[in-house]
Amino acid sequence: MTDYAELHCLSNFSFQRGASSAAELFERAARHGYQALAVTDECTMAGIVRAWQASQENQLRLIVGSEMQIQGGPKVVLLAEDLTGYQVLCDLITRSRRRAEKGDYCLLAEDFDQPLRGLLALWIPESGIDDEQGRWLKQRFNECLWIAVELHCGPDDAARLQELLACAERLQIRPVAAGDVHMHARGRRALQDTMTAIRHHCTVAEAGLRLFPNGERHLRSPQLLAEIYPEFLLAETRTIADRCQFDLGQLRYQYPRELVPEGHTASQWLRHLTEKGIAWRWPEGITAKVRQQVDSELELIEELEYESYFLTVHDIVRFARSRHILCQGRGSAANSAVCFVLGVTEIDPARMNMLFERFLSRERNEPPDIDVDFEHDRREEVIQYVFQRYGRNRAALTAVASSYRGAGALRDVARSLGLPPDQVSALAECCGRWSSRIPSHERLREAGFDPDNLILHRVLTLTEQLIGFPRHLSQHPGGFVISEHPLQTLVPVENAAMDDRTIIQWDKDDLDMVGLLKVDILALGMLSALRRSFDLLRDYRNLDLTLATIPAEDSATYDMLGRADTVGVFQIESRAQMAMLPRLKPRTFYDLVIEVAIVRPGPIQGDMVHPYLRRRNGEEPVVYPSEALKAVFERTLGVPLFQEQVMEMAIVAAGYSAGEADQLRRSMAAWKRRGGLEPHKERLAKGMLERGYTAEFAAQIFEQIKGFGSYGFPESHAASFALLTYASSWLKCHEPAAFACALINSWPMGFYSPDQILQDARRHRIETLPVDVQCSDWDCSLEPTTDMPVQTEQPAIRLGLRMVRGLHEEVGLRIAQARQKKTFDDVSDLSVRAGLSHRDRELLADAGALLGLAGDRHKARWAVAGVEPQLPLFAGQSSGQEKQVLLPAPTVAENLFADYAAVGTTLGPHPLKLLREELKRCRCRSSRDLLVAESGRLISVAGLVTGRQRPGTANGVTFVTLEDEFGMINVIVWQDLGERHRRELVGSQLLRVDGRFESEKGVRHVIAGRLQDLTPMLAGLDVRSRDFH
Amino acid sequence: MRWACILFPQLALDGVLRHREDPKAALALIAGPAQRRMLQTVTPAARELGLRPGMTLTAARALTDEFVIAEYDEKQIEHWHHLLAAWAYRFSSHVSLHYPRALLLEVQSSMGLFGPWLHFEQRLRNELDAMGFRHRIALAPNPAAARMLANSHDGIAVPDRHALRETLGRMSVERIGLAGETATAFSRMGLRRLHQVLALPRDTLARRFPEQVLRHIDTLLGDRPLVLDCFAPPDFFDVRIELNFDVESNQTLFFPVKRLVSDLAAFLAGRDSGVQRFILHLEHRNLEDTRLTVGLLAAERESEMLFELTRGRLETLQIPAPVQAVRLVARDLPRFVPESSQLFEDRPQQKLPWEQLRERLRARLGDDAVLDICSHPDHRPEHAWRQQAAGKPDLAVALPLRPGWLVSEPVALGDDAGQILAGPERIESGWWDGADVRRDYYLIRTEHGQLAWAFRQVGQAGPFWLHGWFA
Repeated sequence: MTDYAELHCLSNFSFQRGASSAAELFERAARHGYQALAVTDECTMAGIVRAWQASQENQLRLIVGSEMQIQGGPKVVLLAEDLTGYQVLCDLITRSRRRAEKGDYCLLAEDFDQPLRGLLALWIPESGIDDEQGRWLKQRFNECLWIAVELHCGPDDAARLQELLACAERLQIRPVAAGDVHMHARGRRALQDTMTAIRHHCTVAEAGLRLFPNGERHLRSPQLLAEIYPEFLLAETRTIADRCQFDLGQLRYQYPRELVPEGHTASQWLRHLTEKGIAWRWPEGITAKVRQQVDSELELIEELEYESYFLTVHDIVRFARSRHILCQGRGSAANSAVCFVLGVTEIDPARMNMLFERFLSRERNEPPDIDVDFEHDRREEVIQYVFQRYGRNRAALTAVASSYRGAGALRDVARSLGLPPDQVSALAECCGRWSSRIPSHERLREAGFDPDNLILHRVLTLTEQLIGFPRHLSQHPGGFVISEHPLQTLVPVENAAMDDRTIIQWDKDDLDMVGLLKVDILALGMLSALRRSFDLLRDYRNLDLTLATIPAEDSATYDMLGRADTVGVFQIESRAQMAMLPRLKPRTFYDLVIEVAIVRPGPIQGDMVHPYLRRRNGEEPVVYPSEALKAVFERTLGVPLFQEQVMEMAIVAAGYSAGEADQLRRSMAAWKRRGGLEPHKERLAKGMLERGYTAEFAAQIFEQIKGFGSYGFPESHAASFALLTYASSWLKCHEPAAFACALINSWPMGFYSPDQILQDARRHRIETLPVDVQCSDWDCSLEPTTDMPVQTEQPAIRLGLRMVRGLHEEVGLRIAQARQKKTFDDVSDLSVRAGLSHRDRELLADAGALLGLAGDRHKARWAVAGVEPQLPLFAGQSSGQEKQVLLPAPTVAENLFADYAAVGTTLGPHPLKLLREELKRCRCRSSRDLLVAESGRLISVAGLVTGRQRPGTANGVTFVTLEDEFGMINVIVWQDLGERHRRELVGSQLLRVDGRFESEKGVRHVIAGRLQDLTPMLAGLDVRSRDFH
Repeated sequence: MRWACILFPQLALDGVLRHREDPKAALALIAGPAQRRMLQTVTPAARELGLRPGMTLTAARALTDEFVIAEYDEKQIEHWHHLLAAWAYRFSSHVSLHYPRALLLEVQSSMGLFGPWLHFEQRLRNELDAMGFRHRIALAPNPAAARMLANSHDGIAVPDRHALRETLGRMSVERIGLAGETATAFSRMGLRRLHQVLALPRDTLARRFPEQVLRHIDTLLGDRPLVLDCFAPPDFFDVRIELNFDVESNQTLFFPVKRLVSDLAAFLAGRDSGVQRFILHLEHRNLEDTRLTVGLLAAERESEMLFELTRGRLETLQIPAPVQAVRLVARDLPRFVPESSQLFEDRPQQKLPWEQLRERLRARLGDDAVLDICSHPDHRPEHAWRQQAAGKPDLAVALPLRPGWLVSEPVALGDDAGQILAGPERIESGWWDGADVRRDYYLIRTEHGQLAWAFRQVGQAGPFWLHGWFA
């Protein structure tokens, strides 16, 4: 047994310095019998929660500290003795981080003028000891200061030891042994050298003396330490360790209090708001069942003391509502009845069969998780509100510790080993974008590398070690932490890359561990589109709709979905979803919840899709392994589709407690990265055998859980999404003009371009009117139809000036504003009153937006070029008359090209219509022909390539979408054909496909047998295919 | 006057291809930063594979691997451009590099010498073919028109202004050298050919387009002159002498070399400059040139002295194969500042300052024979110093105490090593280049009182290895 505690140790959260994770460090320190281990990452607490976890797992005490370099002063290690010390430390870190650029810090001598209670300091002297520094520190820390003796087999350790001891004597500072640990074991020496090179942006060979001379900076064995240090120096570590009694568990987080008015308690106020909400949601009164649910939820919230959390979320949502910003909550607690009456979600609990307790568990002392989606373009208003309401002191964004993935790690390592840039890129490409593994040997050989090559071997070994290491902190897209007390009493705050944003140094897992509240304020484009639809309908038809008042369970809407007529609809507009819809034929809201969740990698890889479909269509009997599990799986016909079902199943069939089930969920999310699912395998099997299930069944369930992995979709999220899916479907079905208009105005979002949305609208007999400065606003708008048959009640869509490529929004707004006074007389009048530049005029002319003022594009161009800058004195007078010139009129094809180039869509004939005769001659069929074609026939089709997708789940199959004047054609290209015809597949804009036509239950596609590039037929057409890889 | 324009549509590619054995290869020239390499230009074979200029290299690689790449080098292009101008200078004293990738030649006055245009043009084409440069040639009454005609008509010869107006009128507005936005503006107005533009009233055009548009059109039609800079032959020295027979002895080379050097001296005198460095190429049949670089401390131009220096280097040179030609290239031609010839020289002639001695030694023995020693940042003692070319500054590196004399191969010390004074100093480094060391170093006083620096492998008891001596 030794008396050593390591007091100076960096984990990999000292980015590009520490070469071991906290888990590795604690595991080894515990094995060596250390008394305690301080984690003293450089000016950061970002890794401390992980260290705390590792300390608990290894039952070795963690000392919280930080190594810091004072500007123009000494380097110190500060250790927290107690909670006060921790708070002072967080404050020091916050100060020095906030005054520096992101990722850097600047600690000043004056920061030590404040009281430093509860902090112990180790002075880390340089090689030439500066007594002055020691005296300065002594003044500030007095008896809380030690001088660190760190010996690493340098040129003359004996002399160094004497030097340090003499200094300690001279200045009356106690000496203590320390390790300056950068890695858990000597074996990380190469990785540590590599990280040093990465930090200095050079190669290892160039790093020279910036590398450590040897691998001594690891957790050395007690025997070794005893040989190096005199006994009293080692014993002193124990003295310090004993003084440091701070534990992160002592942190007490308090919810903000101002949300509760004077004279109320939080639970009274929550009850009050709930009652108000009940009256608002159910003016005619509430059913007993819902009342009971509300009461039991409130009871649970009170028991767990989460009132303030719900009040906080309510306050944010209330603000959004007051500004007419649409929002919708999701997450474990979001679809509760309480959230419905508080306005956090629009899902009527009567519509869903969800048990609140499933998500908020008595046993698990963790805050509930509510994410709120806001309109994409207005989320910033909400964020600013939060900052304003609570102050920067008390509200900050959560951090995300970005970790090395395969490609990034490989790139950094290869570069630091001196590989040339072209090879570095080629290697990184072998990794793929999101992979967290080193590339396989086959993949490397394909790319022309020899995996057995010594250098490459080195690169790969180091890369493997580096993968998963954190590389920097960045900001979470919307996770807020809000606290009653200044945040830096809990955790240091630092600058984010964006101006006016601050982040705390912990990520969401850290927050969970420490029990901090987080509210996710996220952005969703569809909410913008829905709000715009509602606004358009209110203005045009005086129809006041909200998410909650859209008629529920509308059969026309479900009919439409069954036809896969879903361009623009939230979540189910992708090609894969469109292929699923006619098979699943949703008829109820819950069907939509399933539809949203089923076309995802989890269910697909877990092989749950086909069993579900067969059972739904009555092709396979619905059976349950037991009566108990029937309750769990009944709503999905015995097939596990949701994360919650897996948890419930563990509870019902394997005897898990709610808290354990939640741990299973966490392990499921993380096992691909970290493993840790194996213990559950045994546990599940044992529990299930005890309850009379077979071993095979247990094994099968476990495989399904693994397949589910990190992709499993929670039912609670699916339900929130399904609500938006339903709302957007209803709008598309009953108000297609307003819906398409709103979608285009909210673009970019979703799967389809404005051009595709407009084509879809026209196929639904919606009239579209061109951009015209005499009629168009900035946004697309609704107008009464002109020449369409009266039977359609749908208004026409007038394209907005936003469609004119390159035109700035303020210019468009100026035009609309100037026109409100009076329509424009001529180009000159427009130009003067709307303050147009030469470029603006040209853009409008090319877009055809001057048709009413100046005639066709050619004439418009000629006219705008002739506008002369006017002197204010002569404003309104048109300059001298000019001789009329004769210009050739644009041809149909010219107009088509110009439409695509300037507006991105055409209201004239579709390009394929112009080519149809020619295509017919070479026996290409149209998408309309396919509606009546016989399945199994060999056919030829041609169309514009609008999508190319190669999902990871599809074994190299490419899904190509072709578009013609009647609609879309789905093409499947198998891998070998794709490789043979790579050029046609990747390079064509207009593609001809010869292949076999297949049609089943309304799902049609062509299995490609041959591809031919017809792009020359289009020459110049500006349709960019959108690739989704 | 009559002007010919020779346009080199693939100057960059041709420049690269003429060095390659297989000119039909699928080749792409690339440029841009390492993260975003782009294809600049591609050969027809590469185009066949679907490669296009403007593609990223990554995208191209995604398409096919069956092509080779070379750097798109602006400097090289300029070099070829000048080379071709020097070539054309033989045919006309009025050669201009006004347009990139093209040469303008005034040919009227040369026709007496080179015959009627038909023959003249053929001769140009033959020589260009032989040099391996693809080209388009057009002849017009003015240089600007010749240039633009070459865009779409190879081999056209427009005799007079009337015919010129006709021919240009049929050309697309995109191809007559107008600024991009002007050409676009014309075609957006439906004006696709020049004659459509010319048909419009001049004042309506003047109102709509910047002045230079009409000016450019006037220049094309010959209504305004184009101001041209004339090409002047290069201001560096590059002369080659082909030997009549294969020379194998160094002595035999002295004569032609002396001629080259005296030509160089004359050239230098003519432009009042000196030479700091020149290269003598000895060309062999199937071998790379033997290059002999002669460097001087200060710019010189005195023929005798230059030859002496060259001869000193040439004498010691091993010639690997018979020499067929010698070529002298001198680019480093600073202004010549004569040595001050004071009345009373205050330093003795015999005494050479160190730099001059070093230069003389280097000239005699070769650059590689005179070296400095400098330190190098590396923890491994054997890598912590290096030789470098003499005269470069030494970057001082702060190392811990190291012996002044490091033995080249460590030797085992006897059992009775002596007394350990300090250590171990542990050095573990160098895993990245395959020469990883893991050693504990000790400072040892031998029984003879010498201070030795010796090591043991980490974790091994074995004998000490002597690695150096302290003075």
